[in-house]
Amino acid sequence: MRKMRFFTNFDREEQWLNGMARQGYQLIRKSVAYEFAPAEPEEANYRIDYRTFKTRQDFEDYKALFEDCGWTHIAGTKSSGAQYFKRTEAWADEDIFSDVGSKAARYKRISDMWLSLAFSFIPIFAVLVSTGAVNVTAFVKPKLLYYTPGLWEMTGSEFWRAFLFETPFAFFRGFSWAVIPIMILIYIVFAQKAKMEYMKSQQE
Amino acid sequence: MLSRDKHLPLTETVYYILLALREPAHGYLIMQKVEEMSAGQVRMAAGTLYGAVENLLKQRWIQPVQSEDSRRKVYVITDQGLSILHRDYERMKHMIEVTNAIMGS
Repeated sequence: MRKMRFFTNFDREEQWLNGMARQGYQLIRKSVAYEFAPAEPEEANYRIDYRTFKTRQDFEDYKALFEDCGWTHIAGTKSSGAQYFKRTEAWADEDIFSDVGSKAARYKRISDMWLSLAFSFIPIFAVLVSTGAVNVTAFVKPKLLYYTPGLWEMTGSEFWRAFLFETPFAFFRGFSWAVIPIMILIYIVFAQKAKMEYMKSQQE
Repeated sequence: MLSRDKHLPLTETVYYILLALREPAHGYLIMQKVEEMSAGQVRMAAGTLYGAVENLLKQRWIQPVQSEDSRRKVYVITDQGLSILHRDYERMKHMIEVTNAIMGS
């Protein structure tokens, strides 16, 4: 079973995964969506860390440490960031963090990731502006975005049919570049949200 | 007054990790050594230890060494790490001496 969810708080995400396990769904993979396999309902303990690794060896070493501590790596790749662990030994600790600072530091790392993603789009946007791909005339004279010959001389239903037919195309012609600043904005919002979680969790 | 090293005092966990790495050890062994040396007072979870080791590598107080285990990386303290450990030891020794002089009978 696949489920789409988006979390900005690790504690809530962990609780949701534990709840799924209680209903008999075990996390097996996480890409864009969460993938679950049917299993015996159980009281599971899932924990999430956020880290990326430079080399495969670093990633293996990381997973080995958690295994030694009684935690099984369930989902996450070398560069996916989010790493999902499940407690698989009764003697293992209750959590994968033993102090407030290291638990909060996850949010700092995820915030930095969103911010660097936002910044990586800025040069692309700058190129679009300097090559004229960002069409300022679209704001001033939106009529120029319509290519249908004689459109503006048409009247009545003939006009509306042709106008409405072309509007989506005209919109893409004029405003598709806007996807990039919108993405930049969304990433900055996510970065800010993670930063707030970071500050909040440090005070707990 | 001497200008103090801005890294001092070390946290309890950092102090014990450095002390544990007088001899090469991998992550889990570090945790076991720290727990033993601290008489069970300092118990680190996996994510916390991993972050601590990463910080110490960045500070160059510890370094990776050749490992026989293909999965687990092995670390050892550097000269820089030894020097900071010694300075923190001297700091604490002084505190104990002065406390003894005042409070001890």
